[in-house]
Amino acid sequence: MVRFKNRYVLCEVLSEDPRCRQCIEDRAVGLAVRDAIARAHGDYGLGCCCVSFTVKYLNAYTGTVLLRCRKDFQRLLSSALPLVRHLEGRGQRFPCALRTLHVGGTIRTCQKFLIQYNRRQLLLLLQNCTNEGEFLHIVNTVNCILESFYLMAFCALANNFPMCI
Amino acid sequence: MCSAILIKLCLQSITRMTLYFCYLCLFLNPSGDVRSEQQYQQQKFLHQSPGPPYRKDQKRGDSRGKGRGGWQGEHQSSSEEMPRYITVSTFAQARAAEIKAMLKAVAQKSSNSLVFQTLPRHMRRRAMSHNIKRLPRRLQEVARKEAEKAVHQKKEQSKTKCRKARRRHVNLVAEFNRRQRKNIWLETHIWHAKRFHMVKKWGYCLGNSPTEKCYRACYRAMTNHCLLQDLSYYCCVELTGKENELLKQLARICSVDAGLTFGAASCLSGRFQGSLNLYRADRYPEDMLGPVTFIWKPRDGSENRQLWIWMHPALKQDILNELKAIFQCSDPEEICIPEPITTLNQEEKQMDVVQSLGKKRKKEGKEGDKAVPVKKIIGDGTRDPFQSYSWVSQTTGIVISDQTMEILRYRLIGPLSHSVLTETLKAASIQTVRTMACWILLFSSFVDNDKVRQLYLEGVPVECAHSFIWDQDICKNVTENKISEQELNKMRAQLLVPGSQLDLGPCESKIPILLVQQPGKMAGEDRPGWGSGWDIYLPKGWGMAFWIPFIYRGVRVGGLQEASKHSEYQRIPHTPDDFPDCPAGMQFAKELESSLLDKFKRRPPAKRANYVKLGTLSPFICPWGQLVKSWEERMKASEEFVHPSSPHAEHCATEGHGFCDPKPEVVKEASPETGEVEETMEISSEDAIKTEGDTGTQDFGERGEAVRSDFIVLRSEKLLMQLSAWCYPTSGKDRRPRLVSQLGGKEMTEDVLLPILMSYPRALVWVNLSLLRKGNPESHAMICIPTEDDLLHLSKDRLFCGPQEPKHRDIFKHKVQKLKENKRKKKEEDNVKAQESNPPSVPEKETTEECKDLVLGLWSGTLPDVTSHCSRTLLGYVTRGDFSLATGCGEALGFVSLTGLLYMLHSQPADKKGLVLLRTPASLQYRFARLSIEV
Repeated sequence: MVRFKNRYVLCEVLSEDPRCRQCIEDRAVGLAVRDAIARAHGDYGLGCCCVSFTVKYLNAYTGTVLLRCRKDFQRLLSSALPLVRHLEGRGQRFPCALRTLHVGGTIRTCQKFLIQYNRRQLLLLLQNCTNEGEFLHIVNTVNCILESFYLMAFCALANNFPMCI
Repeated sequence: MCSAILIKLCLQSITRMTLYFCYLCLFLNPSGDVRSEQQYQQQKFLHQSPGPPYRKDQKRGDSRGKGRGGWQGEHQSSSEEMPRYITVSTFAQARAAEIKAMLKAVAQKSSNSLVFQTLPRHMRRRAMSHNIKRLPRRLQEVARKEAEKAVHQKKEQSKTKCRKARRRHVNLVAEFNRRQRKNIWLETHIWHAKRFHMVKKWGYCLGNSPTEKCYRACYRAMTNHCLLQDLSYYCCVELTGKENELLKQLARICSVDAGLTFGAASCLSGRFQGSLNLYRADRYPEDMLGPVTFIWKPRDGSENRQLWIWMHPALKQDILNELKAIFQCSDPEEICIPEPITTLNQEEKQMDVVQSLGKKRKKEGKEGDKAVPVKKIIGDGTRDPFQSYSWVSQTTGIVISDQTMEILRYRLIGPLSHSVLTETLKAASIQTVRTMACWILLFSSFVDNDKVRQLYLEGVPVECAHSFIWDQDICKNVTENKISEQELNKMRAQLLVPGSQLDLGPCESKIPILLVQQPGKMAGEDRPGWGSGWDIYLPKGWGMAFWIPFIYRGVRVGGLQEASKHSEYQRIPHTPDDFPDCPAGMQFAKELESSLLDKFKRRPPAKRANYVKLGTLSPFICPWGQLVKSWEERMKASEEFVHPSSPHAEHCATEGHGFCDPKPEVVKEASPETGEVEETMEISSEDAIKTEGDTGTQDFGERGEAVRSDFIVLRSEKLLMQLSAWCYPTSGKDRRPRLVSQLGGKEMTEDVLLPILMSYPRALVWVNLSLLRKGNPESHAMICIPTEDDLLHLSKDRLFCGPQEPKHRDIFKHKVQKLKENKRKKKEEDNVKAQESNPPSVPEKETTEECKDLVLGLWSGTLPDVTSHCSRTLLGYVTRGDFSLATGCGEALGFVSLTGLLYMLHSQPADKKGLVLLRTPASLQYRFARLSIEV
């Protein structure tokens, strides 16, 4: 097909400071990434990457960020991503790091990956629960959101915690 | 993995903090809100996650964070909403919400394609859309939904019968009969429908133009070959009665002044077909009814004469009503019918009805038993069978009968039409085509009750004009006894030698026909006789039998568009477009305006022409009434020369009003013009005094009436001849002394002009214009008077294309913008109110309603003075214009104000007479054109 081919990079913002999440915004993330590219690849690299560079999706609660760039310059972008050191916003600056989770050709594949990834994360969350009340709390709230369809999935999860059920 | 460790760390720290956090939040909300921050958050997720997909939502983007709804939901912009610490449950919630949003986004189909179209090519299977089970199982559910939707969208087609049953001849005919109940089909409808763009007009289904590319080919056919047209939709009204009585009454609705009347000697004998314009009784130059052609039946001894009046279907009702009025006819239901013809006619119709009704009942009663097939509708299918179509005058015994669709009419145009006719004859002796066979009989001069004769109307004695087509009994007989195509083919198949001629013997049909020669272009000097040809009149039912042989002779077939081109190249007005004074013409103009306006409004606003800026007051309709009125006012102003400053001031005022930035050039152009006006005013005022007494005495009686009506179209032959002579330059290169002397006439002096102006203060004249150089005129283009400077420039520079109109200021623009802003504000307010969830108590609609019809680029409200709105004085409008293939330059036809024309001709120099400027509605460029009047 005749179209501009893009690459979508799915990353996660890692930060030890929970307040960092406040400044996870389109602008802040975009600026930080651009800054990193400029540092790593200079003006040329910045120019290449900025052709269709945008932040397509951002979730401050989970720290997920989806970036888009042209297919040809994806290597420039992904090589610069580890160099992001902090996010700036509201006059504050928080140290953080970007972890690349997935690189996809379409938003759709990234979404599919994200579903799988989040599932795994929830599982991890449950496995790491220390007390029972907490576990039930999580299961309840999650069920509340994901309704019956995922009840089965969580029942499967719950098998790891035989003491609860 | 560092992240896992990190999360673990976070979680551990978070679990410890949860309690604190909850307390803190409760503490922070001292307003007694029951919801804790956490719950609030939870609700938020619940609220956001079922949002629509992001694409639709992006448009809404009021604030950036919110605009990314759906799968991109949870981005908060304010720090209040973002908790300062995370808890396990919120974190889990966030993850879960994200999963849900993503799932929704993934599950949703993003493209417009069907499910099986999204499959990669190697997974596609034949007939996937038909059989869902051929799809991979994961997609079957989606495909099923899609299929259901498609079924709903599809039009509910009655699938009661299978295709084979539907296409069975009986059922097909029944279906066709049903479909032509609203709009009449011509007999050649099916043939046309396969090859033409069909339009529904005037209650008929007519072919507009062929689907193939044939614009130029049709022109070539008209000039060099032969073009065939089905004119069966033209309506025929038959008048039967004594010649004297007929002529006496018919003289009231036409005038000798406008040319031949019904009583013209050559037409009265039946040798010629005549054409004329009808007016309401005794109302001659006003209240035009429309153009008609008429043909008398040749005298056959009896004192009753038959007269056919052929007219366009758009004019039929008006003319029929007027005829009924002048002959004082009443509907025959109330009185007994003395005429045998009409009774027969009625009986026949009623019989038809009974037959068809009976058949229907039978068909309903016992299905499958196809004893009697449904009869095809021949003639007018929309007629109410019980309503009579003839009216009898009690006093004079004159019968008016409506013969619509009883007689078919084909037209052959072009020099080869004669040979097409003769060749069709020739073929008759060789081929076995039945219609051809009848031609042999047509030619024999042997007259018998059944035998029929061929007639030529021109160059032949009157006896040749006799035809049995006038006799309704014979026509009826011929129509009913037509051997069907099926039977004929059967007989042909049974011939011993295949392909030999089929001899029907005595059962061979003999069809009465009438051939009428059309003279083609008669007015003007170039291309005399262009577009001449033959009209052939047939009894109904025989349409296709004649049509196909014509097609086999290699004629080209044209539709309505070709008919309009034919009249355009002949430079004659086309019915009903070019008769602005008759009701059908006005109706047509209104319809055209609304359709053009709709088309205009469908364009994106940025791509529309701003007609206000272009100085075009009415791009979609020609305001004839205002045009003649303003010229009349001008003339009056010039007569009342008592206040010399008033017209001048008015003129300047309008000019200043119309132009955005009156450049010095414009002012310069304007001032000599006004000077001219004054000059002529002087002249005419002097003459007015002189000839005042004369005009008083030679009042034609129509003068008073003419003032009352809006406008008239000048059709007086003598006057048109005079005007035509005046339009040619009297000196210089283009001078034509022969023509001028031939058209004769007087010099253009004031004492000749003034009576004309007096008697026709509000008249329009049909003119044709040919462009001198470049330019392609369109309909509604403006015809303007060139200023002296323009003419001077033209004489100096032969390549001078024409002056330009200075841009006007759009005085409506800020109004439109204000309106738009108001609308937007209101919308916002409504939105706000809706968000606050208290319904607006007082709707503010006063501002929007007062100027609802305001469209950017169009003049709204009443038009200002149309003649002086632009820098050149307006003379008239073009009704039809195009690049003429016949002359090789742009040509236009239109009307100009008689007063304006005389004023222009009077003031123009002798060698530049008849030069005008032409400007299309969407352009600022004026083009020079030569105006002429052809009589």
